[in-house]
Amino acid sequence: MYKSQKRALLYAVPGMALVLIFVYYPLILTFYNAFYRWNAFSPVRTFIGFENFQRLFSDPVIGIALTNNTLYAVISVIFQCGLGLVLAAVLENKMFSKFQGFFRTIYFMPVVVSFAVIGILWQLALHPASGIVNPFLHLIGLGAFAQDWLGQSTTAIYSIIFVSQWQNIGYIMLLFLVAMQKIPTDYYEAAAIDGATGIKSFFHITIPLVKEMTLVTVVITVIGAYRVFDEVFIMTEGGPGMSSQTLVTYMYRTGFRTDEMGYASAIAVLMFVVLLILTLIQIRVAGTGRSKGEG
Amino acid sequence: MKKKFIAIIAGILMLLLFATCGTAAPATDPSGAGAPAQTPPAAAADAEQEPITLRFLHKWPEPEFRPWFDALVESYMELNPHVTIIAEAAGDDPIKDLLRIVIGTDQQPDVFFAWSGEFANNFVRAGVVLDLTPHLDADGGAWRNTFMRAGLEPYEMDGRNWGIPIRVNSKVFVYNEALFAEHGLTAPETWDEFLYVAQTFRDAGITPIGFGNASPWAACHYITGLNQKMVPHDVRLVDYYFMTGEFTHPGYVAAHDMFLELHDLGFFNPYVNSTTHSMAREAWFMGESAMFYLSLGEFRTIAAEIGPDGWGFFPMPEIPWGEGRPNYLVGAPDGFLVSAFSQHPEQAIDFLQYMTNMENAVSLIQEIGWPSAVIGAVEAADAPDWLIAGVNNLAEADGMALWLDTDIHIRIADVWLPGLQELLEGTITSEELMQRVQAIAQEVRATYE
Amino acid sequence: MKKISPAALIIKIVVLTLLFIYALTIIYPLIWMVIQGFRTNREFFSDTWGMPQVWVYQNYIDAWNFGIRTYFMNSVFVTATSVVLTVITSSLLAFFLTRYSFKISKLLLVFVLGGMMLSPQISVISLFQLLQTMNLYNTHWALIIPYVAFRIPFITFLMRGYFLGMPREIEEAAFIDGCSSFGIFLRVVLPIARPIIATSALLAAMTFWNEFMFGLVFIESDSLRTIPVGLMNLRGTLVTRWTTLIAGLALSAIPIIMVFLACQKQLVRGLTAGGVKG
Repeated sequence: MYKSQKRALLYAVPGMALVLIFVYYPLILTFYNAFYRWNAFSPVRTFIGFENFQRLFSDPVIGIALTNNTLYAVISVIFQCGLGLVLAAVLENKMFSKFQGFFRTIYFMPVVVSFAVIGILWQLALHPASGIVNPFLHLIGLGAFAQDWLGQSTTAIYSIIFVSQWQNIGYIMLLFLVAMQKIPTDYYEAAAIDGATGIKSFFHITIPLVKEMTLVTVVITVIGAYRVFDEVFIMTEGGPGMSSQTLVTYMYRTGFRTDEMGYASAIAVLMFVVLLILTLIQIRVAGTGRSKGEG
Repeated sequence: MKKKFIAIIAGILMLLLFATCGTAAPATDPSGAGAPAQTPPAAAADAEQEPITLRFLHKWPEPEFRPWFDALVESYMELNPHVTIIAEAAGDDPIKDLLRIVIGTDQQPDVFFAWSGEFANNFVRAGVVLDLTPHLDADGGAWRNTFMRAGLEPYEMDGRNWGIPIRVNSKVFVYNEALFAEHGLTAPETWDEFLYVAQTFRDAGITPIGFGNASPWAACHYITGLNQKMVPHDVRLVDYYFMTGEFTHPGYVAAHDMFLELHDLGFFNPYVNSTTHSMAREAWFMGESAMFYLSLGEFRTIAAEIGPDGWGFFPMPEIPWGEGRPNYLVGAPDGFLVSAFSQHPEQAIDFLQYMTNMENAVSLIQEIGWPSAVIGAVEAADAPDWLIAGVNNLAEADGMALWLDTDIHIRIADVWLPGLQELLEGTITSEELMQRVQAIAQEVRATYE
Repeated sequence: MKKISPAALIIKIVVLTLLFIYALTIIYPLIWMVIQGFRTNREFFSDTWGMPQVWVYQNYIDAWNFGIRTYFMNSVFVTATSVVLTVITSSLLAFFLTRYSFKISKLLLVFVLGGMMLSPQISVISLFQLLQTMNLYNTHWALIIPYVAFRIPFITFLMRGYFLGMPREIEEAAFIDGCSSFGIFLRVVLPIARPIIATSALLAAMTFWNEFMFGLVFIESDSLRTIPVGLMNLRGTLVTRWTTLIAGLALSAIPIIMVFLACQKQLVRGLTAGGVKG
């Protein structure tokens, strides 16, 4: 069987070619581009060596962006992975399993909606004069916490991150739910005989047994956090000031707004390095690197 | 179960594919750059003329304005059946990115919007803009003489003309006449009077000035005027040119301090950095604020929202101690450039000549209430009083200060404008902002040396 | 089974309430969106909580005509085409990787799976250059081809796992009956792999439907834009008509929520099979 090997290569060609030309080649091109000063509309390209890379280290906005990406990652891990895990555990509990379908559907709903919808919607909702968030806070007696959410550099990035959590917790929760459904029920029953129920069994059975999935979700959220673009671009475009810039939004801005395609490419290279380091850490932690994919 | 599901998916996919058949045809049309236009058989006279496709990119996609451009394109194509014009419109902010992206591609528009000043010069220096001087000068300058000087001049660089103005816009303060009358106030002429008026409203519990700075060009237009008034004319021009900019004159800091004072004294509505210009304007329409800083091009919207009466306007008040030239306005023409790579430059220019002929200039005024850059159009159009007043105000000014963000190098603007949000927030001072501007100006100078 | 003690009942009620409040924070903004779409601008500004005095359907009609219709059709076309191409190329590739052993097979596997780690965001500028030189800029193919290319590694990874686990007996029988390898792929492997194909298609469709950055950079014409970028454009266009804009948001969200509700089970299964989004 499967011997006419030369012809068999044809099966691989379309996919391989696409990946080679549109995934790998652009990456090489990005490195190459980063050594030049050029913009999108002018034919002039000047070779400037490592100047773009040197600038990365003196540019304060790069610092802001990296900080914001890291904040995004940390908060996302805490809320999406943490809260997602807790929610999943609660819904898996016998007491609530009747309602699981209902809550799962609702919590997951924002995941399928485009962020363009969610971002614009929350931008309106977060506006202090015409939105609904501040009136809601007043309503529940937390009026003192009302803020100009997207209009202050101290709160803008957090507000964006909040909306991102709002959208994605349901997704992570779902992944945990599936992992938990694979835990045999007799584990819990045996634990119950030993007197471990509820919170105790959560810590002693659930958490250890969804370790793999925890790793998967952490990887997803962290890598996602360093790739953030839509959320910031749609809600604040990096403002006020430069306070909510992330690596990708800043790359976009330098490339397509301030005519520095070369510098933007250098930022892309920086991103590549950051993501590479994260991936290597992930492989290291996972041991074999085969932790992805539960199915 | 599985089978049923597969059937559903297949069904959906099929539906999707069929559903798109309807759109595929028009969708592919604009993508085919050289798609030949169908010559209607009726146009026998033009049958021999080669079909021409022009791409046209402007910046007014709003339902208030876009129809005028659509009608213009439509009527031009009727007059020239061999010409197909593909019109695109992108809003004020997106077009800044879109232009940069599209100009380097094979989808480059033949005729495209660009702000005057450095924004257009940037493209001129890159060699992507056609020199229009010979066309303006043809027939003893027949075309040139139809335009106001204030419309053409900002599109000049190195003594050549690169852009054709469609309107001359300027920024003024509009005010609610009823509120002014109620508090016994009149339009202020000097900065001190202006502060007094604002203070009066503030004391009465009315927001003196509506202001939305979610996109910081709004603050930038204040600074445009204040810089002009506070900094000596020649110094400012030297600074604004990217090869010589230093921005060390103390007038800049003073200008920012005066702007910041408006905010710190509570003359603006709250939440300026998350409120958009149009949101704040809506509040002014509803009488929630007394004054609003906006452009002549927005007058028609005011007339539509609150009627032709009940509001007035005044230019940015004079600052007696300022070192800039008096009687200058904040404003600039809006206009179009022609691509240097256009396959049909003659046709593109013909389209621009059509766009700016008297008939269309009059229509521009009557249909969308814009201050046309064509001399005599306002008179010919029997324009509403508010527009005549606005245009007269323009004519009486000694000069114009172009929008700061499109008049300086983009990298400097990209530091300056976000900085204005921070200034309003109180996270930096005027001095700190100007230090940043000086630093980036130096970096830009160094880049091009 | 023990009876529920009063303490457990209280816990149950408290937790249920919390779950319900959280559900409200998700559902309410969506409902708010649909309702505001029926109000006038002035109503929206004077009281953002209120119900419409008169239900203004016009907002929805306007939003549809101002662009949502075009964007929607474009999104459907781009998504459907990309999904079909992704599934075809990936299944062929996975078939090759699991059924043939060349010397370079391992290398190819690493090459394909390595593609999973590369972010589209990093390549946006060079891809823009590339598409431009290929004269694809500002066509739907400028979206479809990169979408497919960036999804192939992951979908191949999913399918490879499934193909490896398939019993070989049927394939062998088909071979003995004189089936060519392509015949086996078409008549044996693909039919058996239907669940993973459906899963892959759903996962890919979700990514393509919501993709934003490529849509922003690789398309210039409004008539070619997909929903996410089109909405951004509408925000710039309808600067003074918030409620029409909100109606547009609702119109973009509702169909996808309906689809989700309709094939929730499959989507859930697909997501969990993948464990990776975006």
